Amino acid sequence: MNQDNKSTKPRRGPLGWFDAMARVFRRENALVLSDMGVLLFFVLLPLAYPVIYTLIYNPEVVRDMPVAVIDNSRTPASRRLVQTVDATPAVSVFAQCANMAEAKDLFGKNEVFAIMEIPANYEKQITNGQQATVTMYYEMSLLLRYRTFTSAMADVQLKVAQDVTAARINAVGLESLSAGGGAMPARAENTFLGDFGQGFASFIMPGVLILVLQQSMVLGICMLRGTSNERRRRNGGIDPREVQDAPLSAKLLGRALCYFVLYIPMCLFVVLWVPEIFSLPHMGNPADYLLMLVPFLLASAMFGQFVAGFCTERESAFIVVVFTSLVFLFISGLTWPTYAMDTFWKWVSGLIPTTWGVNAFVRINSNGATLADVAPCYHMLWILATAYFLLTWGVQAIASRTSKH
Amino acid sequence: MTTFIDSLKRGIRTLGSRRMYLFGMVIVPVLVCALFVGMFSPGLPLKAPVAVVDLDHSPMSRQITRSLNATELIDASLMLENYQAAMSAVRKGEIYGFFVIPDNFERDVVAGRQPTMDFYDNLAYFIPGTLAFKGFKTVAVGTSAGVARTKLTMLGVPGQLTPGLLQPLVVQEQTIGNPWLNYSIYLTPSFCFGTLALMIFLMTCFSITMEIKNGTSVQWLATARGSIVTALAGKLIPQFVVWSVMGQGMLSIMFRYMSFPCGHLGVLCAAMELFIIACMAVGVLFSSVVPNPRLSLILSALIGILSFSFVGFSFPVQNMYGPISIFSYLVPTRYMYLTYIFSGLNGFPLYYSRLYFAALLAFPLVCSILLPRLRKACLNPVYVP
Repeated sequence: MNQDNKSTKPRRGPLGWFDAMARVFRRENALVLSDMGVLLFFVLLPLAYPVIYTLIYNPEVVRDMPVAVIDNSRTPASRRLVQTVDATPAVSVFAQCANMAEAKDLFGKNEVFAIMEIPANYEKQITNGQQATVTMYYEMSLLLRYRTFTSAMADVQLKVAQDVTAARINAVGLESLSAGGGAMPARAENTFLGDFGQGFASFIMPGVLILVLQQSMVLGICMLRGTSNERRRRNGGIDPREVQDAPLSAKLLGRALCYFVLYIPMCLFVVLWVPEIFSLPHMGNPADYLLMLVPFLLASAMFGQFVAGFCTERESAFIVVVFTSLVFLFISGLTWPTYAMDTFWKWVSGLIPTTWGVNAFVRINSNGATLADVAPCYHMLWILATAYFLLTWGVQAIASRTSKH
Repeated sequence: MTTFIDSLKRGIRTLGSRRMYLFGMVIVPVLVCALFVGMFSPGLPLKAPVAVVDLDHSPMSRQITRSLNATELIDASLMLENYQAAMSAVRKGEIYGFFVIPDNFERDVVAGRQPTMDFYDNLAYFIPGTLAFKGFKTVAVGTSAGVARTKLTMLGVPGQLTPGLLQPLVVQEQTIGNPWLNYSIYLTPSFCFGTLALMIFLMTCFSITMEIKNGTSVQWLATARGSIVTALAGKLIPQFVVWSVMGQGMLSIMFRYMSFPCGHLGVLCAAMELFIIACMAVGVLFSSVVPNPRLSLILSALIGILSFSFVGFSFPVQNMYGPISIFSYLVPTRYMYLTYIFSGLNGFPLYYSRLYFAALLAFPLVCSILLPRLRKACLNPVYVP
């Protein structure tokens, strides 16, 4: 495996630079392939994580959320209402309670997530043409649950209105108004873009896929560099498995190219196959997002080499990198919108390749955008790749100069 | 007693020996807490940028545009010519939704032809998409009801009858614990607990298995006269003190400084201590199962990161696939989270959280069964890279 060391004298000039880069590329490949820890990050993580993650969220929507009902009216009309509520896919009536204390107890035992209280005069109000008010007490630990509850109750409201209003309008003698199917003079129609089924996996996964690509690569790079630093400490400042005579720029680029090539199959699996397996949104032209992934992978490789500067040891990667997955997901603008961030966090998020990669991929993959639509993200990824290359180059050049003196 | 003090001294020295401990135990928790507190401080991301496509240009459509602009959830100042332009703006990420008022809208309304207002919201970005939907729907329903009210009055229906005609059922919402629908209250506590758990798993494994890697584990046990319990106590008590400061600090930032609703802060503070011990116990378990730094850290990272998902911070455990939902009950984070929901957010007395406390207490007991294995590995340290 040390054939490279025996190779001919290093060439000079621009050709020599390419020659050195090619040797770094080959050496890095050998290093990756002989290191189980790194292979785990580079291969197993991008293969397994998207699958495990999607499995967690794959039920997509919340259904049959248990509700306790306090029916103070106990009339045919109120029973009809309870049935209507129970019939919605989102809600399921778990128990009829005699009073609030009983319902609250179920609530506290985590058995129900909402309490519906029907007033005593419910039927009277409904039949007399007045407005009847039903109170819903929502458990607020989950946004998704609350959101599903409110939209289910809006449907119930509409259903009751349809059942009751037509009859009422006829009773008032205004048939002219109800002509055309309903009482409302204008209809409203909503279309959800990007995630038609309002599913949770369909929303979060496209972003997570991109995040997994960057984070697994950064972890692997940090482990490689941490191990190299350990060897360097053991061998008096020299890593014997490194290409010694290559210029720094050739080292950084050769390695980046190695990671890039290794990640091509991973990328294809993650962005082409995973959305198909789980029927996630998968619009857009593959050429658009694959082209976008070129600067994304390069930016990740350079970003990883920059972060690896903080890893003095093989295992440092875990403590330095793992927690950032969460941070990067939140500052990407996918879960918390960019327009609501203050300038500081906007700047921080702009420095991370995933921010641009996630937004570009989500818009292409979920909204059917083209590469031209996401041009700002695409350009930023090239800028970041260049900037992290220059930054790492500068930092390491200074570091090696100070260590020599 | 002196063995214990010697072990303790050694544990404190280890903490000061490397910057990695400072980074993992202090800087990361502070950073993440600052991120959540700072980023989510608006509570609700109001004024989601959206667009209006007015094809009617009538007094009525202008009235709708004004209503859209007056809605605090959305910022509808962008006017676009047609559907294509609006879709293109969505694809470019400039807007999160748009509202289309069709051609001849006012004329059709007056003529009773029931025209349709269309609105589109981009759920690829869930929170702003949802807010855009809510804003659009409110305005659409309000517009329709407003016109209907005028019409009914014109037709001579008595004013007090109109609400009952248009909307016979009113659903009054009581959002317990979070009447402002503040997202920070949803996100900050649970994600802070998750981060704490992740870092405790990692740092506990790191501090134990590094002894094996560096070949100091024999000396570590010798300081404790061969007792793995004393050795672990000496190593972990100083860490526990640091984690307690971090954990209680997080609680006081959230529930005192940020004034998040909290029924029983005392219960939460007590749960935090048990939670930290439970997480450390899980870390010890990982180190005993695979007494190797890389593998135990991989286990910590895997479980720690996946916990954010399967504990049910954002998607409810009740709706996950059965075999997956089981995992949520195997991590301490789930019980800390539930304690927060019931004793904190919902303000139920300790009685309702008693099972979660019991579960947190069970972790150290269950996790100690593999200690003999850890002791053996420490006596014959083998480092697998």
